[in-house]
Amino acid sequence: MLFFRSEARVIEWCSDRQVPVRPIVTIEQLWGLALAWYATRLAPESRRPQPGEMVKIFAGLGLSGEFWDPESRL
Amino acid sequence: MSGGIGPASADLDLEVKLAVYRHFAATGTRPSADQIAGEVGADVAGVVEAYARLRAQRVLLLEADGASIRMAPPFSGVPTQHVVESGAVRYFANCAWDALGIPAALGMPATVRSRCEQSFESLRLDVGVDGPGRSDWVFHCLVPAARWWEDLVFT
Repeated sequence: MLFFRSEARVIEWCSDRQVPVRPIVTIEQLWGLALAWYATRLAPESRRPQPGEMVKIFAGLGLSGEFWDPESRL
Repeated sequence: MSGGIGPASADLDLEVKLAVYRHFAATGTRPSADQIAGEVGADVAGVVEAYARLRAQRVLLLEADGASIRMAPPFSGVPTQHVVESGAVRYFANCAWDALGIPAALGMPATVRSRCEQSFESLRLDVGVDGPGRSDWVFHCLVPAARWWEDLVFT
Protein backbone atom coordinates (compact mmCIF):
# COMPACT_ATOMS: atom_id res chain seq x y z
CA MET A 1 0.00 0.00 0.00
CA LEU A 2 2.09 2.80 -1.39
CA PHE A 3 2.03 6.41 -2.49
CA PHE A 4 2.82 7.37 -6.07
CA ARG A 5 3.29 10.78 -7.68
CA SER A 6 0.85 9.90 -10.48
CA GLU A 7 -0.95 7.05 -12.20
CA ALA A 8 1.88 7.00 -14.77
CA ARG A 9 4.38 6.21 -11.99
CA VAL A 10 2.09 3.38 -10.80
CA ILE A 11 2.06 1.89 -14.29
CA GLU A 12 5.85 2.11 -14.53
CA TRP A 13 6.28 0.50 -11.12
CA CYS A 14 3.95 -2.38 -11.99
CA SER A 15 5.57 -2.87 -15.39
CA ASP A 16 9.04 -3.01 -13.85
CA ARG A 17 7.83 -5.79 -11.54
CA GLN A 18 5.55 -7.51 -14.04
CA VAL A 19 2.61 -7.25 -11.67
CA PRO A 20 -0.95 -6.14 -12.50
CA VAL A 21 -1.99 -2.51 -12.16
CA ARG A 22 -4.67 -2.36 -9.51
CA PRO A 23 -7.34 0.32 -9.04
CA ILE A 24 -5.92 3.81 -8.57
CA VAL A 25 -7.11 5.51 -5.38
CA THR A 26 -7.11 9.27 -4.97
CA ILE A 27 -5.93 11.00 -1.80
CA GLU A 28 -9.52 12.07 -1.15
CA GLN A 29 -10.65 8.44 -1.32
CA LEU A 30 -7.73 7.39 0.86
CA TRP A 31 -8.81 9.85 3.55
CA GLY A 32 -12.26 8.24 3.44
CA LEU A 33 -10.67 4.84 3.98
CA ALA A 34 -8.54 6.19 6.83
CA LEU A 35 -11.59 7.64 8.57
CA ALA A 36 -13.64 4.48 8.10
CA TRP A 37 -10.93 2.25 9.53
CA TYR A 38 -9.35 4.39 12.18
CA ALA A 39 -11.46 7.35 13.35
CA THR A 40 -12.59 5.42 16.44
CA ARG A 41 -9.51 3.21 16.83
CA LEU A 42 -8.52 4.67 20.19
CA ALA A 43 -11.99 4.20 21.68
CA PRO A 44 -13.07 1.15 23.71
CA GLU A 45 -15.87 0.27 21.30
CA SER A 46 -13.57 0.31 18.29
CA ARG A 47 -13.56 -2.74 16.04
CA ARG A 48 -12.43 -3.57 12.55
CA PRO A 49 -15.09 -3.42 9.83
CA GLN A 50 -16.55 -6.83 9.00
CA PRO A 51 -16.55 -8.06 5.38
CA GLY A 52 -20.06 -6.82 4.58
CA GLU A 53 -19.26 -3.45 6.11
CA MET A 54 -16.03 -3.25 4.15
CA VAL A 55 -17.88 -3.70 0.87
CA LYS A 56 -20.26 -0.87 1.78
CA ILE A 57 -17.41 1.42 2.82
CA PHE A 58 -15.53 0.75 -0.40
CA ALA A 59 -18.65 1.23 -2.54
CA GLY A 60 -19.43 4.50 -0.76
CA LEU A 61 -16.03 5.77 -1.84
CA GLY A 62 -16.48 4.58 -5.42
CA LEU A 63 -14.31 1.50 -4.95
CA SER A 64 -16.10 -1.56 -6.24
CA GLY A 65 -15.33 -4.79 -8.03
CA GLU A 66 -13.66 -8.04 -7.12
CA PHE A 67 -10.43 -6.41 -6.00
CA TRP A 68 -12.24 -4.68 -3.14
CA ASP A 69 -14.32 -7.71 -2.12
CA PRO A 70 -12.83 -9.18 1.08
CA GLU A 71 -14.50 -12.50 0.33
CA SER A 72 -13.49 -12.83 -3.31
CA ARG A 73 -11.11 -15.52 -4.55
CA LEU A 74 -9.08 -13.05 -6.61
CA MET B 1 -4.00 -17.70 33.18
CA SER B 2 -5.35 -20.43 30.92
CA GLY B 3 -5.70 -18.41 27.71
CA GLY B 4 -9.40 -19.20 27.40
CA ILE B 5 -11.76 -16.66 25.89
CA GLY B 6 -14.09 -16.14 28.82
CA PRO B 7 -15.35 -12.80 30.14
CA ALA B 8 -12.18 -12.25 32.19
CA SER B 9 -10.02 -12.77 29.12
CA ALA B 10 -12.20 -10.45 27.07
CA ASP B 11 -11.89 -7.76 29.73
CA LEU B 12 -8.11 -8.15 29.85
CA ASP B 13 -7.89 -8.10 26.07
CA LEU B 14 -9.77 -4.81 25.95
CA GLU B 15 -7.58 -3.31 28.68
CA VAL B 16 -4.44 -4.46 26.88
CA LYS B 17 -5.64 -3.15 23.53
CA LEU B 18 -6.49 0.25 24.97
CA ALA B 19 -3.18 0.45 26.84
CA VAL B 20 -1.25 -0.44 23.69
CA TYR B 21 -3.05 2.19 21.63
CA ARG B 22 -2.75 4.85 24.34
CA HIS B 23 1.00 4.22 24.46
CA PHE B 24 1.41 4.49 20.70
CA ALA B 25 -0.71 7.65 20.57
CA ALA B 26 1.23 9.32 23.39
CA THR B 27 4.75 8.32 22.38
CA GLY B 28 4.81 7.14 18.75
CA THR B 29 6.64 4.01 19.87
CA ARG B 30 5.59 0.48 20.71
CA PRO B 31 5.26 -0.44 24.36
CA SER B 32 6.99 -3.45 25.86
CA ALA B 33 4.93 -6.24 27.37
CA ASP B 34 6.40 -5.20 30.72
CA GLN B 35 5.02 -1.69 30.30
CA ILE B 36 1.57 -2.95 29.37
CA ALA B 37 1.60 -5.39 32.29
CA GLY B 38 2.28 -2.50 34.63
CA GLU B 39 -0.39 -0.40 32.98
CA VAL B 40 -3.18 -2.97 33.28
CA GLY B 41 -2.10 -4.65 36.51
CA ALA B 42 -1.47 -8.08 34.97
CA ASP B 43 1.60 -10.26 34.73
CA VAL B 44 3.69 -10.32 31.57
CA ALA B 45 2.61 -13.85 30.66
CA GLY B 46 -1.01 -12.76 30.79
CA VAL B 47 -0.27 -9.80 28.54
CA VAL B 48 1.49 -12.02 26.01
CA GLU B 49 -1.51 -14.35 25.99
CA ALA B 50 -3.76 -11.34 25.40
CA TYR B 51 -1.48 -10.28 22.54
CA ALA B 52 -1.99 -13.69 20.92
CA ARG B 53 -5.75 -13.39 21.17
CA LEU B 54 -5.63 -9.84 19.76
CA ARG B 55 -3.51 -11.15 16.89
CA ALA B 56 -6.14 -13.79 16.18
CA GLN B 57 -8.74 -10.99 16.07
CA ARG B 58 -6.50 -9.05 13.65
CA VAL B 59 -6.07 -6.21 16.12
CA LEU B 60 -2.28 -6.56 16.49
CA LEU B 61 0.52 -8.03 14.39
CA LEU B 62 3.35 -9.46 16.47
CA GLU B 63 7.03 -10.15 15.92
CA ALA B 64 8.17 -13.78 15.94
CA ASP B 65 8.79 -13.62 19.69
CA GLY B 66 5.07 -13.15 20.27
CA ALA B 67 5.80 -10.40 22.79
CA SER B 68 6.86 -7.48 20.57
CA ILE B 69 4.29 -5.50 18.62
CA ARG B 70 5.09 -5.04 14.94
CA MET B 71 1.81 -3.32 14.09
CA ALA B 72 -1.10 -1.87 15.99
CA PRO B 73 -2.69 -0.42 12.88
CA PRO B 74 -2.36 2.39 11.92
CA PHE B 75 0.76 2.57 14.12
CA SER B 76 3.97 0.75 13.27
CA GLY B 77 6.22 -0.62 15.98
CA VAL B 78 9.25 -0.29 13.72
CA PRO B 79 10.55 2.59 11.56
CA THR B 80 9.09 2.85 8.05
CA GLN B 81 9.20 5.26 5.12
CA HIS B 82 5.81 6.67 6.18
CA VAL B 83 6.44 9.28 8.88
CA VAL B 84 3.66 11.24 10.55
CA GLU B 85 4.24 14.21 12.83
CA SER B 86 1.46 15.50 15.05
CA GLY B 87 1.96 17.80 17.99
CA ALA B 88 5.41 17.02 19.31
CA VAL B 89 5.22 13.32 18.48
CA ARG B 90 6.69 11.45 15.50
CA TYR B 91 4.90 8.29 14.40
CA PHE B 92 5.67 5.60 11.86
CA ALA B 93 2.80 4.21 9.79
CA ASN B 94 2.64 0.73 8.29
CA CYS B 95 1.65 1.90 4.82
CA ALA B 96 0.22 4.83 2.88
CA TRP B 97 -3.31 4.08 4.10
CA ASP B 98 -2.14 4.03 7.70
CA ALA B 99 -0.19 7.26 7.16
CA LEU B 100 -3.55 9.00 6.83
CA GLY B 101 -5.00 6.66 9.44
CA ILE B 102 -2.83 8.15 12.17
CA PRO B 103 -4.28 11.69 11.98
CA ALA B 104 -7.72 10.08 11.57
CA ALA B 105 -7.19 8.08 14.76
CA LEU B 106 -5.71 10.98 16.71
CA GLY B 107 -8.30 13.47 15.51
CA MET B 108 -5.49 15.98 15.24
CA PRO B 109 -3.71 17.83 12.44
CA ALA B 110 -0.58 16.12 11.20
CA THR B 111 2.09 16.24 8.54
CA VAL B 112 2.63 13.07 6.53
CA ARG B 113 6.01 12.53 4.91
CA SER B 114 6.60 9.67 2.51
CA ARG B 115 7.72 9.13 -1.08
CA CYS B 116 6.70 8.01 -4.53
CA GLU B 117 7.71 4.38 -4.68
CA GLN B 118 8.69 4.65 -8.36
CA SER B 119 10.45 8.02 -8.62
CA PHE B 120 11.34 8.42 -4.91
CA GLU B 121 10.06 12.00 -5.08
CA SER B 122 9.33 13.21 -1.57
CA LEU B 123 5.75 13.62 -0.42
CA ARG B 124 4.69 16.12 2.20
CA LEU B 125 0.99 16.10 2.90
CA ASP B 126 -0.52 18.42 5.52
CA VAL B 127 -3.60 16.85 7.05
CA GLY B 128 -6.12 18.90 9.00
CA VAL B 129 -8.85 17.55 11.22
CA ASP B 130 -11.08 17.55 8.15
CA GLY B 131 -8.54 15.77 5.99
CA PRO B 132 -5.73 16.59 3.62
CA GLY B 133 -5.71 19.47 1.22
CA ARG B 134 -6.06 18.83 -2.49
CA SER B 135 -3.36 16.55 -3.83
CA ASP B 136 -2.86 14.82 -7.15
CA TRP B 137 -0.75 12.07 -5.62
CA VAL B 138 -2.33 8.61 -5.71
CA PHE B 139 -2.45 5.42 -3.68
CA HIS B 140 -1.97 1.93 -5.08
CA CYS B 141 -2.41 -1.41 -3.41
CA LEU B 142 -1.12 -4.50 -5.17
CA VAL B 143 -2.81 -7.09 -2.94
CA PRO B 144 -6.58 -7.71 -3.24
CA ALA B 145 -8.67 -7.04 -0.14
CA ALA B 146 -9.32 -10.73 0.43
CA ARG B 147 -5.59 -11.36 0.94
CA TRP B 148 -4.51 -8.39 3.03
CA TRP B 149 -3.99 -10.37 6.23
CA GLU B 150 -2.23 -13.32 4.57
CA ASP B 151 1.00 -11.31 4.74
CA LEU B 152 0.25 -7.93 6.25
CA VAL B 153 3.85 -6.74 6.16
CA PHE B 154 4.00 -7.30 2.39
CA THR B 155 0.55 -5.82 1.88
